[in-house]
Amino acid sequence: MNIRDQFREGLITNNPITVQQIGMCATMAITTSLFNGVGMGLSVLIILTCCNVVVSAVRKIIPNEIRLAIFVVIIASFVTIVDLLLKAYIPALSDSLGVFIPLIVVNCIIIGRAEAFCQKNDIKASFFDGIFQGLGYTVILIVMCVIRELLGSGRFGGGLIDVAKGFRFTLDGTGGGIQIFPSEFGASILTLPFGGFLTLGVVIAAMQYFLKKSAREKKAAEEAAAEAARLAAEQEED
Amino acid sequence: MKDNKIVKLSLVLFLVCAIAAGVLGVVYNLTKPTIDRRALEKTTAAFAAVLEAESYEVVDTGAYTLDRSVNSVYKASDGSGYVVESTFSGAQGNITMVVGVKSDYTCSGISITEHSETSGLGAVAASASDAGVAFREQFIGVGENVTVKDIDAIAGATITSTAVTNAVATSITTVKTIEGGAAA
Repeated sequence: MNIRDQFREGLITNNPITVQQIGMCATMAITTSLFNGVGMGLSVLIILTCCNVVVSAVRKIIPNEIRLAIFVVIIASFVTIVDLLLKAYIPALSDSLGVFIPLIVVNCIIIGRAEAFCQKNDIKASFFDGIFQGLGYTVILIVMCVIRELLGSGRFGGGLIDVAKGFRFTLDGTGGGIQIFPSEFGASILTLPFGGFLTLGVVIAAMQYFLKKSAREKKAAEEAAAEAARLAAEQEED
Repeated sequence: MKDNKIVKLSLVLFLVCAIAAGVLGVVYNLTKPTIDRRALEKTTAAFAAVLEAESYEVVDTGAYTLDRSVNSVYKASDGSGYVVESTFSGAQGNITMVVGVKSDYTCSGISITEHSETSGLGAVAASASDAGVAFREQFIGVGENVTVKDIDAIAGATITSTAVTNAVATSITTVKTIEGGAAA
């Protein structure tokens, strides 16, 4: 499998959220502001990449019977490291994501990739798998954050962008974001957890529609090509 | 034969756990000073936000029967009031907050120092957003009989709002107990 295929898989054809549909709990809970979405996405990306590399590196020396226990220990260690680092250096993100950072331990994306991919592939492939699956996760989180934040509270980039004193990016979560319309007019339903379900459903449906459409177009193009070849062959016979 | 296998598996698992524990120990020790410093800064800032004073001295709470959710009580050095730190259970976990209580037994401000409430709902109570500030500011001036009905709770976060209100009421009662005890 080459890197380009892996890139396409992680972001589109085998996206962790919209196609594999794993790791949904945190997805619905934290996608209320861009700051949370980017922070959570990048945390998962880093943890996933580290875990993938380590799992792949030890895949031949660990006994098969206890591999899941060992995966869990590896994952829990990396999650704790990231949790401690966030607490020390980006406390605002740690405060805002709260319990969802430690909960990455039980996020099925990570154990899922370890079990389904890394124990069968070499370190390099696992490394890129971590990066691209993490990116796919981050992109969908960002899409959901933007939709929920805009329609739910009329804002864009909450926590991350500060426009009070000129346009700038903030890392301490204090930025108010860009208010596009007054928050009273927002459908605040979307910022509640079940608004997460609604948004996720729509995002998955849209993604599946385009995946099916592109598959259909590809098939149609192939059929057209086959038809043309058949016609050409017939003409030659005449 | 079978026993051998169990011993081998246990050894491998033990080894993996030992390495993980070692790595975590190193990271923990590296980050601990920074995390502690942040926590201290946060507490100091929280104290200053709820009750302005030069310095704060710890009150020995052993002499009084206080609500068990109260962690510690500090007295402002200029006698303008007390700062009470308490822990209440919120919707997702414990909420630790400091409440400033003036000498006339009203709340002078609150600040949430630690919580694990739902991001976007209960977490609003502690956030720096307009809604969070408005939620906390409405406690200024309330007395010990405040209930969650007297305040504008955060939509979708009734449990968090109730916990915060209870903490305010309990803190004021605590100060009353201490002041009463001192007078007697």
